[in-house]
Amino acid sequence: MRIVLVIAGVALIVYAAAGAVTDPDVAVGGVLLFLAGVLAVHDIVWMATVLAVGAAITRLVAARHQTVARATAISAATITFVAFPLVLGFGRSPGNPSVLPLPYGRNLALVLLGIAAVTVLIGWRGGREKLKGPAPGINDPRRGSAQEGTPDGGRRRHSWAGCQRRR
Amino acid sequence: MTGRATAGRRLIRWLTTPLPQPPPALRRGPLRPGVFGSRLRSTRLAGQLGVALGLTFGVCFLTGLLSHLMQHPPAGFAWPSRPIGFYRFTQGLHVVTGLASAPLLGAKLWSVYPRLFTWPPVRSIAHAAERAAVGVLVAAALFQVVGGVLNITRWYTPMPFFFTAGHYWVGWLAIGALLVHVGVRLPVTRAALTRSAMSARPGGLSRRGLLTGVAAATGLLTLTTAGQTLRPLSGLALFAPRRPGTGPQGLPVNKTADNAGVRALALNPSYRLTVIGPTRHTDLDLDGLHAMTQHTAELPIACVEGWSATGRWTGVRLRDLVALVGVDPTRATVVAESLETGGRYRTSIVAAPHVRDPLTLVALRLNGEPLHLDHGYPARLIAPNRPGVLQTKWLTSITVREES
Repeated sequence: MRIVLVIAGVALIVYAAAGAVTDPDVAVGGVLLFLAGVLAVHDIVWMATVLAVGAAITRLVAARHQTVARATAISAATITFVAFPLVLGFGRSPGNPSVLPLPYGRNLALVLLGIAAVTVLIGWRGGREKLKGPAPGINDPRRGSAQEGTPDGGRRRHSWAGCQRRR
Repeated sequence: MTGRATAGRRLIRWLTTPLPQPPPALRRGPLRPGVFGSRLRSTRLAGQLGVALGLTFGVCFLTGLLSHLMQHPPAGFAWPSRPIGFYRFTQGLHVVTGLASAPLLGAKLWSVYPRLFTWPPVRSIAHAAERAAVGVLVAAALFQVVGGVLNITRWYTPMPFFFTAGHYWVGWLAIGALLVHVGVRLPVTRAALTRSAMSARPGGLSRRGLLTGVAAATGLLTLTTAGQTLRPLSGLALFAPRRPGTGPQGLPVNKTADNAGVRALALNPSYRLTVIGPTRHTDLDLDGLHAMTQHTAELPIACVEGWSATGRWTGVRLRDLVALVGVDPTRATVVAESLETGGRYRTSIVAAPHVRDPLTLVALRLNGEPLHLDHGYPARLIAPNRPGVLQTKWLTSITVREES
């Protein structure tokens, strides 16, 4: 089963490479450049940003609110990723108002505000329930305490180490 | 036989022989042990996200392949004209699942990011090959998701290649690399998915919290974009690159008459539609077309970019035009040609099932008005279950071929 999957996969990779090379519509250099580009931007710039935001949440948000804060960050990042090219609006075409017809900047601001409002509401309710007694789920107090050791005794913090827990 | 078995064993031994370790002094920065401390990361989390991604990528691949086959049908590939909205459904689904892949892929890559800094970087030749395959998979997956978003938002400058062809071949690359990855990781993932299901450990709650967050992000993204094809959601479609009701005569436009450079030709009073049969041909001016029996059909314009909108089209049945040059419309294919002087979609082939279909029209009117210039005035093709780019606008000729 596994060997069949691997062989079929390798065959498809070879098919894709051969197809791209022989397709006159494909600029192979451009495709390779974009493959390398998205990989580099994701693994260096994007991940550094994500981990830095994770570290900021770890440091700045109370442990019981961290799940909500992380969920908020994920939603905001997702929406911003898709909305970003729309907000920039480079795809607009002067003679064709049916392309990108909406005020995407305003819409992005509205949705981000909405996400923030929901976060605050959940955090506030979580805080109130916390006063009444420990509730299961997002308020689990054990969450913030877990930490794997690091050789430098936790003194050095790096952007790629951003999702480490509070020490 | 024994010789071959021995050779196989030797090959496996060669592939898995440990390579010399790099000097420990090089183990710096993110390569140091324990740098990535989040307890959220686990094989189970990566496995769950992987299963979800496998589903969305699988749907994306199949729906994308379908569109490719419809636009470039290989010999023997027959495509029916019904159900009317099947193409619309598949391409709406393609973009919905493609967008849903974005948060899943982001979370998945976060969950396995420390593996990028595995030490030693390469243990054996087999390990190096596996890591290279993972690299191909990650690059191809990012390529498809990022490129797809750039395409639906029509921002082509960052992509130094022809999007359609690049997206198609890298789709095969992604699926191939995915199969290799599943083949390699299957036992580990299966064990992680079954084991943890039985014993919830401390910290499991945060994994569920993360998955809930990813699901919420996916849902929010779907709600705010799917309205470009699902009319009931169009009010929520804050990030839809198109709105079904927005455009001339209530329908979006992909290529305007000015983009296509056909304004003067399309507005020329001496316009004629030429119908060319195997033995004779006929020229029809607009009056001639209007003098033929008019039919009305509710049909969608469905774009491969995931948007679609329904229009009420009125005009002449294609089969009636085919009959005009003495060909049996139940056994004919048609080449529709536009006034455009160039471009990939200047002509399109209408296969026999669509020629036969009484809903296939040479449309002269849209939603009760003469066709807008940007919708293909004086006459355009509109057929059920067919990609938007093949609904040829500004028709100048129709060449009828008899099927043998």
